[in-house]
Amino acid sequence: MNLSISLEHYLLLSSILFFIGLYGVIVRKNLLMLFFATEIMLNAVNIGLVAISNYYGDLTGQMFAFFIIAIAASEVAIGLGLLVIWFKRHNTVDLDSLQSMKG
Amino acid sequence: MNFDINLNINISNFIDTSTLLYIALFSPIVGSLIAGIYGASPKRIGIGIIVSSLIFLSFLASAGLFLHLYFGGSIVNVRMMDWISAGDLSVPFGFVADQVSVTMMLVVTLVSTIVHIYSIGYMEKDKGFNRFFSYLSAFVFSMMFLVMSDNFLGLFIGWEGVGLCSWLLIGFWYERESATWAANEAFIMNRIADLGMLIGIFLIYWHFGTLQYDEVFAKVNSIPVDIISMIAIFLFIGAMGKSAQFPLHTWLADAMEGPTPVSALIHAATMVTAGVYLVIRANEIFALVPEVGYFIASLGAFVALFAATMALVNRDIKRVIAYSTLSQLGYMFVAGGLGAYWIALFHLVTHAFFKALLFLGAGNVMHAMEDELNIMKMGGLRKVMLGTALLMLIASVALSGIYPFAGFFSKDKILEVAFDTHNYILWGTLWLTAGLTAFYSFRIVMLVFFGSARYKDFGIHPHEAHGFMLWAMTPLAVLAIVAGLFEHQFIDFVTKILPVYNFSEGIHEIIGQLVMVTTAIAVTGITIAVLSNMFKEGLFTNTFKSNFIYKLLDNQYYIPKIYDEVFSKPYRELSELFWKSVDLKIVDATVDGIANCILSTGENTRGMQSGNLSIMLRLMVIGITVLLISAILYSYADSILTLLQGVLN
Amino acid sequence: MNHILTILIFFPALAGLMGFLVDKKSIKPYVVSITLIELFISLYLWYGFNSAEIGMQFVEQANLIEAFGVQYLIGIDGISLFLVILSTFMTLIGVVSISDDTEDLRELLLTILFLEMTMVGVFVVLDAILFYLFWELSLVPMLYIIGAWGGNKRVYASIKFFLYTFTGSIIMLVGMLYMAYLYYQASGTWSFSLLEWYRLQLPLDYQIWLFVAFFLGLAIKVPMFPFHTWLPYAHGQAPTVGSVILAAVLLKMGTYGFIRLSLPLYPDATVYFLTPIAILSLIMIIYTAMVAYAQKDLKQLVAYSSISHMGVIILGIFALNPEGITGSIFLMISHGIVSGALFLLVGVIYDRRHTKMIDEFGGLASVMPRYALIFGIMAMASVGLPLTIGFVGEFLSLVGFYKYSHIMGIIATGTVVVGAIYMLSAYKRTFFGKVVNSENSKLSDLNLREYLTLIPLTILVIVLGIYPKPILKPVDESVKAIISLMHQKAVTEEAKKIIPNIKIGEEARK
Repeated sequence: MNLSISLEHYLLLSSILFFIGLYGVIVRKNLLMLFFATEIMLNAVNIGLVAISNYYGDLTGQMFAFFIIAIAASEVAIGLGLLVIWFKRHNTVDLDSLQSMKG
Repeated sequence: MNFDINLNINISNFIDTSTLLYIALFSPIVGSLIAGIYGASPKRIGIGIIVSSLIFLSFLASAGLFLHLYFGGSIVNVRMMDWISAGDLSVPFGFVADQVSVTMMLVVTLVSTIVHIYSIGYMEKDKGFNRFFSYLSAFVFSMMFLVMSDNFLGLFIGWEGVGLCSWLLIGFWYERESATWAANEAFIMNRIADLGMLIGIFLIYWHFGTLQYDEVFAKVNSIPVDIISMIAIFLFIGAMGKSAQFPLHTWLADAMEGPTPVSALIHAATMVTAGVYLVIRANEIFALVPEVGYFIASLGAFVALFAATMALVNRDIKRVIAYSTLSQLGYMFVAGGLGAYWIALFHLVTHAFFKALLFLGAGNVMHAMEDELNIMKMGGLRKVMLGTALLMLIASVALSGIYPFAGFFSKDKILEVAFDTHNYILWGTLWLTAGLTAFYSFRIVMLVFFGSARYKDFGIHPHEAHGFMLWAMTPLAVLAIVAGLFEHQFIDFVTKILPVYNFSEGIHEIIGQLVMVTTAIAVTGITIAVLSNMFKEGLFTNTFKSNFIYKLLDNQYYIPKIYDEVFSKPYRELSELFWKSVDLKIVDATVDGIANCILSTGENTRGMQSGNLSIMLRLMVIGITVLLISAILYSYADSILTLLQGVLN
Repeated sequence: MNHILTILIFFPALAGLMGFLVDKKSIKPYVVSITLIELFISLYLWYGFNSAEIGMQFVEQANLIEAFGVQYLIGIDGISLFLVILSTFMTLIGVVSISDDTEDLRELLLTILFLEMTMVGVFVVLDAILFYLFWELSLVPMLYIIGAWGGNKRVYASIKFFLYTFTGSIIMLVGMLYMAYLYYQASGTWSFSLLEWYRLQLPLDYQIWLFVAFFLGLAIKVPMFPFHTWLPYAHGQAPTVGSVILAAVLLKMGTYGFIRLSLPLYPDATVYFLTPIAILSLIMIIYTAMVAYAQKDLKQLVAYSSISHMGVIILGIFALNPEGITGSIFLMISHGIVSGALFLLVGVIYDRRHTKMIDEFGGLASVMPRYALIFGIMAMASVGLPLTIGFVGEFLSLVGFYKYSHIMGIIATGTVVVGAIYMLSAYKRTFFGKVVNSENSKLSDLNLREYLTLIPLTILVIVLGIYPKPILKPVDESVKAIISLMHQKAVTEEAKKIIPNIKIGEEARK
C-alpha cells in the first residue's frame, strides 16, 4: 500500500480548509473572526494552486499563490485598520452593528 | 295640350352656359354667407330680401340651362378643380347639367325661392331671422351640389351637406329639447344610411377605378353582376336614409320640430327626394339588377301603405303631412324599382309642388293658431283664412290624384307600371294606399277648415297670413293644377338620357278601366272623409280609440319605442359598461396591475437589502453555489440527457 | 439653406436656453416670435421642397460614433415635411393660447420650446439611434408639462404617461439594436441609417420578431387598444396647451413610426400581422367611440375620440395601398388640427367655469354664439363631414382599407355613425337647450387671444377640406415610393400579392 502523499491529498486538504473557511464566513458574526475565515479560504486556494503547480511542473501556479498572499496581506492591513476605527467608534466589531445602508 | 314651339332659343348665344351653371350653383352659398355674417345680430329684413333674390337668381340660371337643353343644346359639363387625388383615385369638383339634373335644379330652386319669400313673412318675429336664412340658403347650395355633381363623391358632398343643414334647421329652435333631439336623430339615422352609401362608393371605386358617372356607366356591362347588385344594394341603403324608407323612417316625422318652411322645402320637396334622385341617376346600375329593383319596389309599396295608415289617425297636422310624404316617396321608389325612371322623376316633380304647397298652407294654419298643431283644436278656419283654405284644398286634391290635377297624372302612371309588370300585389297595395291618401288628406281639410270653430274654446284668435305669403304660394298652386298636363313634353325632355318605359300592348286596352278604378277609390276616400266629418267631427269615437289597431297606428306601430328600447338604450348602457367596467376595470386595471406587481415585488424583496453583512455573505454563498451548479449542469447537459434517456428507457 | 434642417431642429432649443436671460414680462412675446420664426422656416422648407423628386431631400450627414455607424443623418420626404409643419404650427398655436397669468409662465414656455425641438427631431432624423433619442427626449418636457401644470391627479397621470410609453420604447430600442446587428452580419459594417436598413431583405421569422418589438413601442405611443389607457389620464390632467400638443403632434409620432420604420423594414411581417392589427384597430374605432359617448367630462370625451380617430389612421396605414396610406397621413394632419382645436375649445370654457363636466353646461349657444359656431365647425370636421378637413383623410383611409376586407371595411366605416353619436350628443348637451345653470348665463364669448388661436385653425379646416391637393400630392409621391420599396423587398408570395406594384418616378412617366 502506497502511503506517499499524492495530489489528491493536497486537493482534499485544500477543499476541507476552504469549506471550513466558508463555514466561518457564513456563521461568524465577529468581524475579526470573519477575517480569519477569509484568510483560511485564501490559503486553501493557495495550497491547491501550489499543489497543482508542482504536479504539472509549471511555476505559474506558485507565482499566483505569492500574488494572493500579497493581496491578502494588504487586504488585512486595510481591513484591520478600518476595523480598529469601527471598534473605537462603536465599541463593537459585531457584524449586526454595521447596518447603516439598510434598503 | 300640345304647343309646338317653333321659336328656337339658343341660350348659349347670350351667355356662356358654364357661367350659368356656376351662377345656379353658387349664388345660394353667397346668400348664405351674407346672412351668416349677420347670424348673431338682430333681424334685418334686407337679409331676407337679398338672400331670396339670390335664390331667385339661381332659379333664373337654372331656367336658362333648362331652355338651353330643351332647345337641343348640348349637356353642360364643367370641371371646376381637383378635389381629392391620391393613388389612382382622382375626384374633381365637376358639375353637369343634363336633362335629369336640370329638372331637379328647376324644382329645387323654384320651391326654394317660394319658400324663402314665404319665410320672410313666416319668420318675421323670430330672433334668429338672419341665421335661419343662412341655414336655408346653405341647404339650397348643398342640394344643388347634390343634383349637379358629375360624380358619386360630389353627390356625397351634397348628400352630407343637406344632412348638416337639415340638422341645423330641425334643431333651429335649439332651446327646445324635442327639437334638438329630433335633429340628432335625423343626423345619426342618416349617417347609418350613409355608411351604406360610402360602401357603395368604395365598391364602385375598386371595381370601376373611377367615380365619374359617365365613366362608371360606360363600363357597367363589363363588371360581374353580383358586384353590381352589391353596389345597387348599398347605394339604395344610402337612399333609404335620406328618403326615410322603412326601417329608417322615424326621423322624418320627428323632423317636423323644425320651422314649417323647412318642412316644406327639405322634408317634402327636395332633400327627402334625394334618394329617389340617386336611384334615377344611377339607373344604369339599377337596371342591370332587376331583383334589387323588385326589392326596392316592394319596399316602396310597403312604405306607401305603412305610412298612409299612420297618417290616418295622427292629430298633428304636420306629422300627417310628413307621413304622407313618406307614403309618396314609397310610390316613387315603386316606379324607380320597376325601371320606370322617368315616371319616378315625374312624380317627384309634381309631388314637390303640391306637397310644398300643403306644408306652407299648414304653416299658415299654425301661425294663425299660435303654433297649435292639433287638428282637433281647429275647425271652421275657412271663415278667417279663405286663401289658405283654397290653396290647401288644391294641394289636397292634387295629392289625392283627382283629374286634372298634377298628382293624377304621375300617380296613375305608377299604378299602371305596377299593373303592367304583373306585380298585382304591388298594384293592389298602391291602389289601397291611393284611397287612404285621399281619406287622410281630406280629413285634415275637413277638420281644419270646416265644421265648428273648436279653437274658440282654447281662446285662440286666428288670422290670415300676409298677402305676399299667399301670393308666393300661388305659383305652386298653379303648378299643382297644371303640371300634369306637360306630361308629353316632360317625357320627351328627360328620356333623352333616361330609358323610355315601354308599356306592353295589352295594357292600352284596359288603361281606361285602371284609371277609373283608381279614381273611384280616391273619390271614395274623399267622400268618407267629408261625410264622416260632416256628421261627426273627428270621426273616431272614444270606443274606436280604445281599439287595438287605432292604438297601434297612433303609436306609429310602436316603432319609435322599439328603437329606443332595442338600439338607443342598449347602446347607452353598453357604452357605460365599456367605460366603467371594461376600460377602467379591465384594460386599465391590467396595466396598473402589472405596475403594482413590479412595485410589490420590489417592496417584498426590499428586506434582502438589510445592510447586514452576514446575511449578504450567506446570500452570496448561495448565489455562487447556484451559479456553479448551473454551470456544471450546462457543461454536462448532453451527457446528463443521455443518462436520463437511458434511465427512462 | 444647406443646414436648414439642423437649424429647424436646434433653433427652438437654443432660443429656449437664451430665454432664461429674457425678462419675465417679455417672455411670451419672445417665445411667440421664436415659434413664429420656426414656423416660417418650416414653410420655407415646403417652398424649397421638390415634390417631383423621389427620396429624401435636404439631407445632412455627419458621423457621430463611427465604429458603430451612428450618424447624424437627417432629411425629409413628403411625409415628414407636413408633420414638421404641423408640429411647428401647432406649437405656435399652443404658445399663443397660453394665458399671461399662468403660474411659472417662463418655465412653461421654455419647456414647450424644448419639446418643439424633440418633435421636429423625430420627424426629420433618418438614423435609428437619433430617432430613438428624440423619441425618448420628447417624453421629458411632456412629463413636466403634465406633472407641473396639470390638474389634481397630475403626478399619477404624468408618471403613468412616462413609464408606459418608456416601457414600449425600450422594447423598440432592443429591436433597433438587433436590427443593427443583423445588418452588421449581412454587410460587415455597422449602420443605424434607416436608408441603409431599407436595403436589407430579411426572412419572415426574423421580421416577425423585429416587427413585434417595434410594434409595442409604436402602438403604445399611438395609442392603440389595449395600450391606450394612459391617454385619457394624460389628457384629463394636462393643461390645455399640453393636450393640444399631445393630441396634435405626439400621437402622430407613433403612426409616423409605422410608416417610416415598420412598413418599409418589415413588409412581410406587416402583411403577416395585417388581420390582427386590423381587428385591434376596429375595436379601437368602435369601442373607444362608445366609451367616448359615455364620458361625462368633455375633455375626456375629446381624448377618447382621439383614440377612435387614430384607429382609422392605423387602418389607413395597414391598407398598404397609396389611397389608404396617403389618406392616413392626411388624416394625421387633419386630426392634429381638429383635435388640437377641440382641446383649445374645451380649454375656453374651462378657463371661464373651471369645470369640464358636460352636465354643468347647456344652452351655451345662446350665451356664446361665436364659440358655439367654431365648436360646431370643429365637431363637424371631427365627424368627417365633406368639405371639412376631416372627410378627406377619413374617406381615403377607409376606401384604401376596404380593398383589403369587405366585412372589416364595413365595420370600420361604422366610424361615421359612432363618431356622429358621441359628437352630436355632446354638442347637444353642451350648447343646446335652455341655460339652466345661472353661472353660465353671463359667460363672455371668445376673447382676442382665443380668436387668434381658433380662427387660423378654422380657416385651415375649411380650406384644406375644399382644396387638399397641395398636401396630398407630395405625400402621395412619397407614399408610392415607400410602397414600391415594400413590394420589391417582400419575400413572401402573400406580401407580393397584397402590396401593389407601383411604378414611380421615371417608370411611371413612361
